[in-house]
Amino acid sequence: MIASQASIAEKSEVSDRPPPRNKRKRSRGRPATAVVEPGVVADDIRRPPIAIEKKKFEPAAFHSSVNKLLQLLRTFSGLANFTAVPSDTRLDHSSTMAKSVRASVSKRNRANLRKKVFGPIVDARTERLSAKLQELAAQPKPKAPENAGMDLGSDETADRNAAKATAAADEEMDIDTKSSKTRSQKSGRVQKQQRNRKPRNSIMFQKPASKSTKGSKKNAPGAAKTSLGVSIMGFFHCSWATLLANLMVPVGILTFSSGFFPYKPLLPGLATFDEVNQNATSAVFDKVIFMVVDALRSDFVYSTESGFLFTQSLIRAGAALPFTAHASSPTVTMPRLKAMTTGSVPSFLDVILNIAESDTSSTLAYQDTWLAQLKARGDQLVMYGDDTWLKLFPGMFGRAEGTTSFFVSDFVEVDRNVTRHVPTELAQSDWSALIMHYLGLDHIGHKAGPRSSFMRPKQREMDAVVNEVYTAIQQEPHLQSTLFVLCGDHGMNDAGNHGGASAGETSPALLFISPKFEALASPHESPIEAFADLQYYRTVEQADITPTLAGLLGLPIPLNSLGVFIPEFLDMWDSRSERLQLLSRNARQLLNTVEATFPSFVFGQEAIAASCANGADSGIEGAQCAWSQVLQLLSTNITTDESFSTLESSLLQFSHIAQDVMSSTASNYNIFRLCLGLAITGAAALLVFPATYHECARSTHTGAFLTFMIVGYGSMMFASSYVEEEQQFWYWICSGWTFYLHIRSESSTMGTSKITHPLTLHASKLATLVLAVALRVLRRWNQTGQKFAAEPDIARTFLPAHPAVFWGLIVLTYADAGYHLLRNLPSAAVLKFGGLILTVLAFLFKLNFMANDSPELLASSFLSKVAESWPESLSLILQARLIFGGLVVCALLAVVTQHSPDTRPVSSSLLHEALHLFLMTQSRAANIPLFLLFRVAASILSSMSLTGIEVTVTTLILQYTTFFAFGGSNAISSVDLSSAYNGVGSYSVVMVGVLTFVSNWAGPIWWVSAGHLLRPQRGPEGQNTAALLTFHIATSLVSVMAACTALRTHLFIWTVFSPKYLYTMAWATAHHVAVNLLGEANLYSLRSRR
Amino acid sequence: MASPASPSSVNTAASPSQAPAEKPSAPPIDILPSLLAQTYSYVHPAVLLGLCALRFETVVADPVRELLADLPWLAALQISYVMLCLPPAGTTSIEVGSGADEDKKKAPRSPSGPSVTLRPGKPAYRRKQSSGRSGLAAIWAKLMSAFLSLALTSLLATPMIAVLLVLFGAPLTTHNAETLLCAAHMALLSATGLVYVHGVDGSIWKQVWGIARPADAVWGGALGTGLGAWFGAIPIPLDWDRPWQAFPITILAGAYIGCAFGSLVSRTPLLYGKRIEFAPEQVEEDEKKTN
Repeated sequence: MIASQASIAEKSEVSDRPPPRNKRKRSRGRPATAVVEPGVVADDIRRPPIAIEKKKFEPAAFHSSVNKLLQLLRTFSGLANFTAVPSDTRLDHSSTMAKSVRASVSKRNRANLRKKVFGPIVDARTERLSAKLQELAAQPKPKAPENAGMDLGSDETADRNAAKATAAADEEMDIDTKSSKTRSQKSGRVQKQQRNRKPRNSIMFQKPASKSTKGSKKNAPGAAKTSLGVSIMGFFHCSWATLLANLMVPVGILTFSSGFFPYKPLLPGLATFDEVNQNATSAVFDKVIFMVVDALRSDFVYSTESGFLFTQSLIRAGAALPFTAHASSPTVTMPRLKAMTTGSVPSFLDVILNIAESDTSSTLAYQDTWLAQLKARGDQLVMYGDDTWLKLFPGMFGRAEGTTSFFVSDFVEVDRNVTRHVPTELAQSDWSALIMHYLGLDHIGHKAGPRSSFMRPKQREMDAVVNEVYTAIQQEPHLQSTLFVLCGDHGMNDAGNHGGASAGETSPALLFISPKFEALASPHESPIEAFADLQYYRTVEQADITPTLAGLLGLPIPLNSLGVFIPEFLDMWDSRSERLQLLSRNARQLLNTVEATFPSFVFGQEAIAASCANGADSGIEGAQCAWSQVLQLLSTNITTDESFSTLESSLLQFSHIAQDVMSSTASNYNIFRLCLGLAITGAAALLVFPATYHECARSTHTGAFLTFMIVGYGSMMFASSYVEEEQQFWYWICSGWTFYLHIRSESSTMGTSKITHPLTLHASKLATLVLAVALRVLRRWNQTGQKFAAEPDIARTFLPAHPAVFWGLIVLTYADAGYHLLRNLPSAAVLKFGGLILTVLAFLFKLNFMANDSPELLASSFLSKVAESWPESLSLILQARLIFGGLVVCALLAVVTQHSPDTRPVSSSLLHEALHLFLMTQSRAANIPLFLLFRVAASILSSMSLTGIEVTVTTLILQYTTFFAFGGSNAISSVDLSSAYNGVGSYSVVMVGVLTFVSNWAGPIWWVSAGHLLRPQRGPEGQNTAALLTFHIATSLVSVMAACTALRTHLFIWTVFSPKYLYTMAWATAHHVAVNLLGEANLYSLRSRR
Repeated sequence: MASPASPSSVNTAASPSQAPAEKPSAPPIDILPSLLAQTYSYVHPAVLLGLCALRFETVVADPVRELLADLPWLAALQISYVMLCLPPAGTTSIEVGSGADEDKKKAPRSPSGPSVTLRPGKPAYRRKQSSGRSGLAAIWAKLMSAFLSLALTSLLATPMIAVLLVLFGAPLTTHNAETLLCAAHMALLSATGLVYVHGVDGSIWKQVWGIARPADAVWGGALGTGLGAWFGAIPIPLDWDRPWQAFPITILAGAYIGCAFGSLVSRTPLLYGKRIEFAPEQVEEDEKKTN
């Protein structure tokens, strides 16, 4: 939901820090995890010495081999710990263990494990696959800040009146006031959004309007009709190969993607009790209260440090059945809600489609969920809390109020807005499902981490809600048959973030609470001493919630569910046949999904009798075998208790195998398309190779360096750790290139030392030093990647500790931006004044944004007063729009003044300045001082009089370097969404997409623009820049694709390589084609217009 | 001027190094012709590598202590190497007979000379010149040079290399002892020889600063040290999680290997006397003119 993503974004790579380690650990640990006979809880394996997050029921035949592996794992982890801890002081304590496990176990056992337990690994991998992409798709959407009210109003058709009444009643909420403001400006917004594009774009659109372009064009070949075409062709300068290559790159990407992201069939419609042996079992409960506490990690409820004292007393009394629910990555709210309601693991293609299509396509409105089942039964549902639910289930709820969490700093209001509805709803009897989703705990996690002083009070607050609800269930007659589910959608890591696959993130708590459970006589010990791997009590899959709820509420199991009924609740039915029926219903429903996915496999008795012969105990053959056993048992006479329990366990066994099989189906690659995509992209690289070679041959050393870089970068893509730590490569190359520039400037000054004044000589000597210092600071600004991400850096460690320095730098940066903007504006007083206003406005916007988003950074500074007095007068959206509008005006000015011949350099740098301010607006506050650093670096570089190819290489390196220096990484969870909604009133895919891209690629875009200014005005080099860049991007695509193809069975394919592929896609399409080439083509046309 | 031409014109015919041909550059340094020197010059890199390999385990276990303990040994090794195999500063310039040339060079340089590198070396320069000219025993020159090179290496080169290490990405807030020791080792590997053979000749040090020296055993070793250290950073991000992936170890190992190989490779006829020059020089020069 908003909260989680906003803060993931805000803390950028933090959120991704521990995941990969544990991710791997898990993938490896998984086969070795507690594999027990269905229905039997094995206490000794539940807590292995290392943090193994996932425990599953798997066929008993696994037992011996898996235990062996577990032994091995222990041994290795012990060894690795022993050697790694003393020397590796750079790593924080918590990660050392994970690291060592990952290192020794992962690498050494990889082959071994793959051979022995291929199935489960594939399963883990695909789970992560769909999860990761899902996250990508899910992230932007839940964040639409002002959407809630509108959704209420517009989406609900059946209960429109009720919804309206609710909205009206909630006018006093801040969210609603915002949205009403939005509405009031609606008329003006439409045109504004058109203009809100990046200045660059508006220039593009502007250009065709000016007719003078063509006349002076010297190099444009042919007689193209549109001036855009002219400009592009002119830019490519007879290099049709380059143009063709750039057309082939997206084609290659599409082809490869279609083979790489497989399709998983989804059964349409709602499940019903229509088959012969699928009669409804008697419902144990008729109502459910589903209370989601965002990021409720298992130990927040179960450990001795918990504030959930009442809940723990329920566990002791046996009224609450505690579990740890394994949440597969991506551990962000929307995919998790999908898993909990549909019971399925959202498929990969879903995710892609979600990105591509409109907002509504991400809903579950047409999917089978337990909510839809309730609704189909004619029941009323009500929802309070995170508005992700409203987006997922438009029109589902009779009464609802969504809370948004645009600002993570809000610990109180978000929850108060939910809790205040609880008493009234508990008093009503017209609903059969009450859903509450609390966000405050997640906010605290993001802001202050799991050990923050806010955490206990918040837990006590949530505990009070549990108490209130439970008391109502005990006392109110209409609630006497109500099931109360308390769960987290995901956990959080030690930094308080989530999104990845570490133990903390994937281990939310799950409790089923009802006075009826006391009859089960299964009280648990509580509280439990906290332990590292967080697997309290028994671990179930999050998807298991769906069939369990369906069973307990007497609903059909949703069609696409991959969950397995939690066997602990079987005792709620006295009759053995009902229990059996429940399990067989679950098994048959899973069988249906398996058959839909694997039409070539037959599950008839005769056909599969042989499948057990080869001893398959996992995978599709394992499922066949297990099913044949079930059928065999079914055919015998079932009378004794023993035969009942045998059948029950064989049904469960089949269900678990089917669950594993189904979570791994997403990995059906289309090898032909993979190769085709690879070939197309390779051909694109070959097309530009001659031009590149020519260019490199012309300047030997730079060419050699470029070749070295491209080869190094390409080969790096095959090593998972280099993909994770890509920033290290660019920092490394960057320092090397700085050194190269140093040698170069030295040798050129040596050659010309006779002429040059000693002072300038002296200065130029220091220049590279200053550049190196600047780049060194840049490098430390944000720690990113995986391995060293936890180390202190400037943006997250130093600046918050020194707010005076922080704000001083920001003011300085804005002052610098304003100065340059003013200097480059035409000398009319109005314009100068406007530029000043614009800069001040941009600064105040950032200040207000910070005041809302992270007030703690402002608390101790003098600026807090400014921020306090300001924000009421203008909404952030309006401020952002004013800024964007002003910047568009600047950009237009730059284009218009183009016509007068002698202002050319001024206007093209005016464009740069407008972009500068825009990128600052789109960056996190902590990154803003970097723009000052950029300015220094750019001015040094411009003093070096670099040649064309050198400028290209320099800016190329700096583009990548700054991408990572801004906190980017190759993990999807590091996508920064905090600025994605600047000036956007309601969710719009295009606007949010563009803003997200700009805010994450701010550094690279800046350097593209700076590259234009740095490039020598004359000389033949300029034109082949496109070829060089295209060659670079094509080769990097080829190597990423080749890595993804070659390593498609690799353990980390979905955690490391495919996110990298997605990032490369973004680099190639959005950055390379849209920003680099089109920007270049535009500027070229502007330039040649003279 | 004639002298630099002789070795480099033969070898660098292909490379356009003569673009700034007006630059008279000091010639590459030869290993002393004596059999002992020749032999030891080949043994020395092997000894360095042997030291590196031998102490690797202990360095991994406790980098700071071990690197500190190894410093005197490395210093002794390097000193014995330079004294055995290399001509001390002064002797080369006299042999070459380019004293006048150096004077000429000094004149324009001195204003710019006091850059980061050279200022404290200035007085020593003259003293050494005189010692060379006074014709004292070669031993004396060698001792003086050795002493000088040790002093300068520890006083100047070490902090300089430490700063460079940080600029190239070494941690600044932590691991300071490691950085400093790594710099000290690298300085001993690279700077000892350079100071020994070149003294504090500003023009040569300018070339060193600009990476424009012709390849010889000394310069090759120094450049190899730096390059090796740069490449030594490659394994650090790998997720093997071996203890030796900690900060200074791979870099230092790279430096040792680079130094050994650099000093050997740069003596081969293929590279000897060549220098790193910039092919795009002309293009760029043209450009400057047009601008």
